[in-house]
Amino acid sequence: MPAQPENPAEEVRHLRRCISDLVSVLALPATWTGGRPSQILGNSLDALVSMLSLDFVYARLKDSTVTSFTEMVRVGASWESKPQPEDFGEKLQPWLEGDFQKLPAVATDFFGKPAITLVSLQLGLHAEIGVLVAGSQRSSFPQQTEKLVLNIAANQAAIGLQESSLLSAQTRVASDLGERVAQRAAELAATNEVLRKEIAERKIVEERLRREEAELRRSEAYKAAVLDSSLDCIVAMDHEGRITEFNPAAERTFGYQRDDAIGKHLGDVIVPAHLREKHRAGFARHVATGESRVLGKRTEMTALCADGKEIPVEIAITRIAEDGPPSFTGFLRDITERKRSQDALLEAHEKLARSEERWRLVFENSAVGVTLADFDTRLLAANPVFQKMVGYTEAELKQLNFLDITVEEDRDSNRMLLQDLIHGKWRQFQIEKRYLRKDGGIIWARVSVSVVARTDRSSGFLLALSEDVTDRRSAEEALDETRSELAHIARLTMLSTLTAAIAHEINQPLSGIVTNASTCLRMLDGNPPNLEGARETARRTIRDGNRASEVTSRLRALFSKKNATFELFDLNDAVREVIALCASELQRNRVVPQSELTPNLPPVLGDRTQIQQVILNLLKNGWDAMSSVENRPRGLLVKTECDEGGGVRLSVKDSGVGIDPEIEKKLFEAFHTTKSDGMGIGLSVSRSIVERHQGRLWAIRNDGPGATFLFSIPPSTNT
Amino acid sequence: MTDGQEQSSIKEPLVVVVVDDDESVRESLPDLLKEFGFTVLAFSSADEFLASESVDRTTCLVLDMVMPGMSGLDLQAELKNRGRKIPIIFITAQKDESIRKRVLDQGAVDVLLKPFSDTALRKALSKAMGED
Repeated sequence: MPAQPENPAEEVRHLRRCISDLVSVLALPATWTGGRPSQILGNSLDALVSMLSLDFVYARLKDSTVTSFTEMVRVGASWESKPQPEDFGEKLQPWLEGDFQKLPAVATDFFGKPAITLVSLQLGLHAEIGVLVAGSQRSSFPQQTEKLVLNIAANQAAIGLQESSLLSAQTRVASDLGERVAQRAAELAATNEVLRKEIAERKIVEERLRREEAELRRSEAYKAAVLDSSLDCIVAMDHEGRITEFNPAAERTFGYQRDDAIGKHLGDVIVPAHLREKHRAGFARHVATGESRVLGKRTEMTALCADGKEIPVEIAITRIAEDGPPSFTGFLRDITERKRSQDALLEAHEKLARSEERWRLVFENSAVGVTLADFDTRLLAANPVFQKMVGYTEAELKQLNFLDITVEEDRDSNRMLLQDLIHGKWRQFQIEKRYLRKDGGIIWARVSVSVVARTDRSSGFLLALSEDVTDRRSAEEALDETRSELAHIARLTMLSTLTAAIAHEINQPLSGIVTNASTCLRMLDGNPPNLEGARETARRTIRDGNRASEVTSRLRALFSKKNATFELFDLNDAVREVIALCASELQRNRVVPQSELTPNLPPVLGDRTQIQQVILNLLKNGWDAMSSVENRPRGLLVKTECDEGGGVRLSVKDSGVGIDPEIEKKLFEAFHTTKSDGMGIGLSVSRSIVERHQGRLWAIRNDGPGATFLFSIPPSTNT
Repeated sequence: MTDGQEQSSIKEPLVVVVVDDDESVRESLPDLLKEFGFTVLAFSSADEFLASESVDRTTCLVLDMVMPGMSGLDLQAELKNRGRKIPIIFITAQKDESIRKRVLDQGAVDVLLKPFSDTALRKALSKAMGED
């Protein structure tokens, strides 16, 4: 504390002033918030000068750099002129330079002031902020309270300055940072932009690349597809003639594998040895001069296959223009087939010519008559044979038509046949007809007429081949007569072979006669005679006698004796013989016989001839039953089969008038007949024969028209 | 054996059965057999006969050889199978030595060829009855 105050009131006043100064000094920082160091320092210096009535207060603040500093000075009212802070600095240098701890000190002649007491105060703990020097001419300076105020003010200022300095440093750092951030941001933005552009460009490039790649891939795939599926051989080569592509067709045609072919010289692979020199020369000339004899043209050449075979090929070569040396693509086609078909065509033409010549010769020299006619049956041509056949010259025949040279009786039927033929009902027909010769004679001819259809080159015509069968016809007519005789004889033979059967028919009534007669006699001889019985038996005797007489009269001429012979035979063979025997009879009756003969039938033991007579009988019954049938085919089906008992069965099915129920029961009775010319023994005799073979003969009505007659004969072991 | 003996016999009547598919035979033969003094039954087929109750009463069988269905030969065999020893006289319109021999071998009394006389029949019947 200061030295003794002069009086207590003064002391109180002094103390009060000191407290008031301290409060003011303490309040100072409140006004410094956000202030600059000069403001803080100036404010502090002003406050100290006025509070402590100092002559001056000088402050020196160190800068961030060690070598420079900031000076400031505030002076009291005693100063007329206001010296510059630098001047104060210079004046105070000796204390500030050296050890300012030597202060306070009294300076003399200080800007005209005789003596001035100097007090220094450090700003900051180690004066790191700066130094403050206060000066007063008062001799009492500095009093205790003044030292206190000065120290506190210096501390306050130091804190303020430090804060300010910190703040400004922060601000500076912040601003610096901001600036750098901004700069960096700008740089980044710029870089970004560059990058963005680069990326965009790259994307475009990539997109283009991608497109190009896809295009390339598509193109490659297309190329591959073309190469793979081309039917033509595709062989590509580079400017040195080395194979760069060899497609599957080429593999197939030439027999080389693609991998083997690629890289080799085309000339060494598919050019035959004798053409290699020419190929090389041509290729070299093209490379040297651009001339080519093959480029862009279709040329035929010979090519060599892997197996050494040489084949004709058609070749077209395309030059592919590229940057750098050219490449070539060759399209080759094996034309062996084409060559062959050309040759074949040529040959066919020759053949045709030869054939035409041959046909002309056939026409001229044919053994049969050949005639051509238009669709109006007008004759167009006739060969020499036909001319001779009908006695007309070809010129004469050309004035006639088919019907003119046909006998009157055949014209209508011939005209209908020709019309049907021309209208396409059938393609050809064959008839036997009579031609009317120029000399009025008649010849029989077997004629085949066919239609040669209209074509682009021909209007179509009728072709008739006529064979003179007059001789054959006569022979046939003679044969027919013989046949009917034979048929007659066959019938007689049949009856003669039926002796036993017929005997049965005759002996049956005879047996009745004899028995009845015997009975009658016995009745009359009785005692008494049985007259009634005798009369009845006598009546029966007469009846049976008449019946027997009928049979004998009908059979008299046919009756002869023949012993039956039993043997094993094949029923099918027997049937075939019978059908063959009566074929002409069937034909004459317009009956179409059909046979279904089951193979491997068990053999029949019996009289073959008799069984054949039965079959003949059944067939004859069949065709007789159909003699009046006109509205349907006269079908006759002969069938053989095994029967249930292990024997054989034969059936004859006709489509005739069928069986009248009224006569059904009498069907097999002797001499029952519905035919005007029949004897009525057929079925009866047949039944006898079949029964003699332990067999059975019966008849059934068909579902459709007609009847079926059947017989069955048991297996041969039974007989 | 004589007619007189037969006629005077008090014993059961002798039954002669005629089997023939021919109506005229069935008509005439029974009358003659009756004149001979037999009781006569006539059938048109072997089956009909076998189905009747007369088989056991039959003294003698006059049998047609060829008939539809079961033949005379079949009936002969069938009766043999059944153990019936009925004497059989075959009658037939067909002369066939092989068949004649066969049926005789099988035990037939006789084979009469139609037409046959009353004496031939009488003789055969006597033979049949005598064997009985």
